[in-house]
Amino acid sequence: MTLQSQKAILSSFIEGAPPGELADVVADIKNLTSSTPNLINELGPAFQKYNEEQFTTVKLPGSSQHVIISSHNSLGGSRYYDVETSTSFAFDHTTQKASAVETYVVEGAQGDLTKSVIKALAPYVKEHYSNAAYGAWPIENDSKVAIIIVANKYSPNNYWNGRWRSLYILDPAAGTVEGSIKVDVHYYEDGNVRLLTDKPVTASVSATGAAIVKEISAVEKKYQEELNRSFASLSEGAFKALRRQLPVTRQKIEWEKIAGYRLGQDIGGGGARR
Amino acid sequence: MAAVDPFDSALDLLRRLNPKHTTSHLNNIIALAPDLAEDLLSSVDQPLTIRRCKQTGRDYLLCDYNRDGDSYRSPWSNQFDPPLDDAPSVGGVGPGGTNEGAGEGAVPGERVRRMEIKMNEAFDVYRELYYEGGVSSVYLWNLDDGFAGVVLLKKTSTPGDATSSGVWDSIHVFEASERGRTSNYRLTSTVILSLATKGSSLGELDLSGNMTRQVEQDLPVDNDDSHIANIGRLVEDMELKMRNLLQEVYFGKAKDVVGDLRSIGSLSETLRDRETQRELIGSMRR
Repeated sequence: MTLQSQKAILSSFIEGAPPGELADVVADIKNLTSSTPNLINELGPAFQKYNEEQFTTVKLPGSSQHVIISSHNSLGGSRYYDVETSTSFAFDHTTQKASAVETYVVEGAQGDLTKSVIKALAPYVKEHYSNAAYGAWPIENDSKVAIIIVANKYSPNNYWNGRWRSLYILDPAAGTVEGSIKVDVHYYEDGNVRLLTDKPVTASVSATGAAIVKEISAVEKKYQEELNRSFASLSEGAFKALRRQLPVTRQKIEWEKIAGYRLGQDIGGGGARR
Repeated sequence: MAAVDPFDSALDLLRRLNPKHTTSHLNNIIALAPDLAEDLLSSVDQPLTIRRCKQTGRDYLLCDYNRDGDSYRSPWSNQFDPPLDDAPSVGGVGPGGTNEGAGEGAVPGERVRRMEIKMNEAFDVYRELYYEGGVSSVYLWNLDDGFAGVVLLKKTSTPGDATSSGVWDSIHVFEASERGRTSNYRLTSTVILSLATKGSSLGELDLSGNMTRQVEQDLPVDNDDSHIANIGRLVEDMELKMRNLLQEVYFGKAKDVVGDLRSIGSLSETLRDRETQRELIGSMRR
C-alpha cells in the first residue's frame, strides 16, 4: 500500500477521534504502524484539521484561562489569537500545547462589537455550561464576527465523553447570524455508541453584544428541548418498531411447544413464511 | 512497559471510531495491517447482509459463519450461492479441529444439520413474534464435544413519518459442550443498533452503535429438542436484557450527557434550589 493511502487512512482515524480520546486513538495508531514509526509525524495536517474543527481548547502557559483553536482565529503558521486576553500564541497541533505567548490587540471596525459579544457571552455561558470555553473574533477582512462556544465533559472512568460545539457567524451589515450547533457523545462500556447531531442555525439580529447573545440563548434552549423530544420520539417510534419487548401475547415463548406455534396460533404479521 | 498486541489496538480503535462506519474502519485497519485480517474478521461484528435463497425463495443472512470464499450457504436449502466447485466438507471442523465454520466450505454433520433445520424454524417463529418482520438465520457447526452456532436477526424500520429510520442486527454466537445429562452453554451476544432522524427544527441526529454481553449456563438436556429450547430461552432472555440496556444507553445516558454539557435551566438557580432544599432538610432534622 502506498504511503499516500496509508496517510489518508490514518488521517481519517485522527479526524474521527471522539471527544477527549485523541490520545487513545494516536496510541492505537502508533501501535498498529510500529514498523513505520515516522508515519505519525507526517500527519500534521490531520491534527490541525481535528483541532480547528473540534474547537480544541488549550491553557495558556502561566494562566488558568482556556482559549480556543479554530480556523477563525488562526494567524497562520500555527499561531492563534484570543481577543479576551489580548494574546497570540504558538500551538503545537500534535501535542496540543501552547507556547510563545505575545500581546495581540484587536482593533478595526468590528473590534468593539467583538468585545461586547464576549462580554455578553460570559454570564450566559456561566449560567448554562458547567465547563465551556467561548470566544469571538473579527473575520473576513473585518466584515463579520465569528462566535464559538465549546463545552467538554470527559468521564473515561465511566466510559463516556461528550462535546457541544456552537459556531455563529454574525454579519453586522445584514443583521443576520448563521451557524451550527453540533453535539457529539461517545459511550463505550462493553460497546461503542455514538450520538452525532448537526443543527444549522439562521436568525436575524441587531448588531449589539446583548442582542446577539440573547438570540443565541433562545436558539440553544429551543434546540436542546427539541433534542430531548427527539430522544423520546425515537424511543417510542423507530426503536419500538424494530423489536417488541414481549410478543403480542405479552408472554415469553414456550420453547417446548415452538414447533406447534405455526400450526396452532396466529402469530401475527400476516404470515411468517415469505 | 509491555508491548500492546496490535490486535488489541485494532479492537480499541474500533471501539472509539464512529460505530456507524465500523465496516469501512475495519477494512482500513486490515489494509494497514493485513496480518490481522483473519482474527479481526472473525471477532468484529458488522451489520448483516440479506440474500434471497435461489432454491426456496426465502431471505437469509450472510456472516462469516456461513461463508466459503465468496459463497454463502442458505440455511433453508443448505446450498451454497454461488455453488462451490468442490463438495463441501461435512462436520465443520477443519484440519486441526480449529475451524469455526468459516471459509472452509463446511456444512454441519447430519445430526447437527437436523438441529439447524429445527432451530431455523423455531427462530423464524421467534422473529415473527418479537420483530413482526425482518429476517432470521441460524447456522450450526460441529465441535469435538458438542456443537456451536450463531443466531442472526435483522430488522429495518421506517415509521410512517419517514423522517426517522432504524436498523437492528442481533448476532448471538454460542457453544454447547455436551456433558451427559447436562450441557454447558456459552453465549456472546452483540446488538448493532442504528437510529437516525431529521427535521427542520432538529437538524440531523444520528444515534448508532453496538453493545456486547456474555452469559454462561449449565442446563439439563434430554434430547436434541432440549438444546433448541435451552438456546431459545438463553437468546430470548439475552435479547430482553439487551433491549432494556440499549434503551437506557441510547435514550437515557445520551440525553443525560447532553444535559451535563449544557443545562436548559440556569445553573445558579439550580444551585440555589439545591441549597434551599439542603437547608430545609437540615431544619427538619433539628
